[in-house]
Amino acid sequence: MNHIKAKSGNAFLLISLLPAVLILGGFVVLFFWGFYQSLTDMRFGRARVDFEGFGNYARLFGKVRFWDSVSATAIYAFTAVACEAFLGLAIAKLFNAKVLLAKWFRPAILLPLVLPPLSVALMWTTMMNPGTGVLNYFLNFIGISNFPWTSSADTAMFAVIFIDIWTFTPFFALIIFAGLRGITPDIIEGARMNGTKAWGTFWRIELPLVLPYILLAALFRLIDSLNQFDIIFGTTQGGPGSATDVLSVSAYFTAFQNLYFGRGAAIMIVNWVMVLTSAMVVAKLWQYARKRVS
Amino acid sequence: MSMKFFTATLLNVLVVVVVVVHAFPIIWIVMNSFKEAADINAYPPVFLFKPTLENYKVLFDLADAEATNYGTLKIDFLKPVLSSVIISVGAVLLSLIAGVPAGYALARFDFRGKEDLAFFILGFRFAPVLLVIIPMFQFFQAVGLTDTYFGMIWVYQLITLPMIIWLSRSYVEDIPLEIEEAAAICGAKRPQIMLQVVLPLLRPGLVGASLLVFLLAWHNFALGLILTAKNTPVTVALLKLLNPGISFYPVMSAGLVVSMIVPICLIILGQRHLERGLTFGALK
Repeated sequence: MNHIKAKSGNAFLLISLLPAVLILGGFVVLFFWGFYQSLTDMRFGRARVDFEGFGNYARLFGKVRFWDSVSATAIYAFTAVACEAFLGLAIAKLFNAKVLLAKWFRPAILLPLVLPPLSVALMWTTMMNPGTGVLNYFLNFIGISNFPWTSSADTAMFAVIFIDIWTFTPFFALIIFAGLRGITPDIIEGARMNGTKAWGTFWRIELPLVLPYILLAALFRLIDSLNQFDIIFGTTQGGPGSATDVLSVSAYFTAFQNLYFGRGAAIMIVNWVMVLTSAMVVAKLWQYARKRVS
Repeated sequence: MSMKFFTATLLNVLVVVVVVVHAFPIIWIVMNSFKEAADINAYPPVFLFKPTLENYKVLFDLADAEATNYGTLKIDFLKPVLSSVIISVGAVLLSLIAGVPAGYALARFDFRGKEDLAFFILGFRFAPVLLVIIPMFQFFQAVGLTDTYFGMIWVYQLITLPMIIWLSRSYVEDIPLEIEEAAAICGAKRPQIMLQVVLPLLRPGLVGASLLVFLLAWHNFALGLILTAKNTPVTVALLKLLNPGISFYPVMSAGLVVSMIVPICLIILGQRHLERGLTFGALK
């Protein structure tokens, strides 16, 4: 853009970026303040705040309940994302095939994505009622009766992961579908000519080509699932016991029910580190997968 | 030939299964919202019933006190709906004002640290909202912003602003640079180019982006849960319906349907923008 004068350009650049940078910068200050809080014994409603270094972290690391939360968070996120990736790929393949009904119904599978996750959670809560819920009514037909869903510690994690999968599989399907559309018929034809069978073309051509799309979707979903609060808070609130007590829910109760602000902030920092490291690994995989096919 | 017919049928059946799995819960909750309390709690579940508007009347306090099972209970669901609309629309507008110029600058200028800034903005997608809420809560208490629309619109920027910046950047990049250069040769200044050339071309994209960002704001739950008491958004008001001792499934079903109708209507308008929006512009 050499035609536009550089001098006026600088002032313009500053003015266009400043409001956004100021607003977002404010949040960054709050983020660091949150980190500082995690190093103190801050409690809500008490004026005295003592700096105590990594005391909160040391206390957390010594608790079984905290490690339960860490593993609950990891189990929830990784199981959900893995299942969603697999099902999303299957659905995208199905809707990419030349099937009459697929063309008509494609918008229908996007519905779960536009609903508020909390509404989705409450919707499933009514359906998962062990006594009168419609899900157990259906399960009766295949010989399962009184499945406890969220009311038993053994099945609660399965139930919340199930809700996550129902809600966000369409996200994978949508993105993988975009990837499949990008594969031109002549690429597939070329492989056929060389004598590759249908499954062979899928494994050796299609899958590597859509892998970057799968990993991109996984990146977004992993971040959201590791931070997931609405679905779990709306159904089990972390229970029964500590069965679904993921870090974000645990931090909420620590900070806003037991009023240990410092410790709540420390739990969220741990959550954030988990999100960041997982995201970085998946982002690296995504870059690698993209480089391989380009 | 018959083999082909068999596969086609099988695939069609699979499509129907997928669609039913996705649509059934929503249809079921809509049905529930028109059922009487006795029908909702009935087992086996009732599929055919006489529809009633009672749940919606109770939800919006339109029923006569004696005519319902809930006595004189006041829910006043219209208020959270309005709060959600005010907060979400306000958040989208503020994000557009602050975010579109920033998105334009990121698309069209070369400056030191540009990619760092873009990545920093993307980083908000990784941000744990709850970590920011704890200090935010204290700050709001200290300056009296708790439970105000102004405060809520501001904190919602955490979700809406990064999205608007990235989306408008990706839409600006779609506009051929030559158009702007032509305008510049004709003597137009940068602000003029942006307002009179770029903005009209950007409008369809920005409408789509706004719809999506409105959705995200409408979805939000955690911010409202902690930072509001009376001006609660719809999602928080819904959870409150679960708390009373009486079985509230019937009225809650009606509330759920209300909370879902708004996004469904919007997405019918903006379906084309869904992919780009959900992936921060990574897919076009």
